Amino acid sequence: MSALPEGGPTRALLVRALLYFALWIVVDQSAKTANLVVGLLASATATWASLKLLPPASGRVRLGLLLLLLPRFLWQSLVAGTDVARRAFALRLRLQPGFVDYPVGLPRGSARNAFELIASLMPGSVPSGETKETIEFHCLDTRQPVVEQLAAEERAYARALQPGPRHG
Amino acid sequence: MSVVLDAFSIVAIVAGLVFFLAGTVGLLRFPDAFTRLHALTKADNLGVALVVIGLLPQMDGVLAALKLVLVWLLTMLSSAAVSQLIARSVRRRECSE
Repeated sequence: MSALPEGGPTRALLVRALLYFALWIVVDQSAKTANLVVGLLASATATWASLKLLPPASGRVRLGLLLLLLPRFLWQSLVAGTDVARRAFALRLRLQPGFVDYPVGLPRGSARNAFELIASLMPGSVPSGETKETIEFHCLDTRQPVVEQLAAEERAYARALQPGPRHG
Repeated sequence: MSVVLDAFSIVAIVAGLVFFLAGTVGLLRFPDAFTRLHALTKADNLGVALVVIGLLPQMDGVLAALKLVLVWLLTMLSSAAVSQLIARSVRRRECSE
């Protein structure tokens, strides 16, 4: 239990419980007592499950900083969607698919997982495998500077995605 | 004002549908599982985003709008996660063959 981030497990537990209850309120949208009781039980169960499945020690994703990057993310999604749509509608398919190994700075853990989630919505890349030091991406067009783009993304998200004190 | 908002909704939703169509066309035309994943995740994501943005002005109340945004976020999260899982399992099968 020594490798926990500052604030310890209680803080992580409280933050998660609050987030799950907020989710319940948004989904259910009712102030009746019975509904709220079910909501409390549901968010308690969800918190318990999330602590089992994703212990708070495995790296940090800072939601506040991540939100600041929302405009960048939305813009990239727009570019990605338009790029694929143009290729799909083109009279002759212009594809040069292939695999590219990207040397990733983030160690395995939730920070890298979050980066892979974001990268899979970026233009032209879907993660298809990984080793300790690289992520393998499948690319629609290997003529594009995929590695450079991914490196720029990783730099941009570096402050929001912090690897935890995980060994190995 | 409401005419402007309605026009905005129509434009955004129609644009969203174009991207859904693009995703489906890509699914049919692209050559293999990986390229089809690109078509589905990226084009459909943008499709959902535009439909949600188009519907936002039509919702009554902040909570209802938040619920719509939540649906959008969950769709995005699941498609980003599932596309990787499919890509990884196809890749593993290819490598072991």
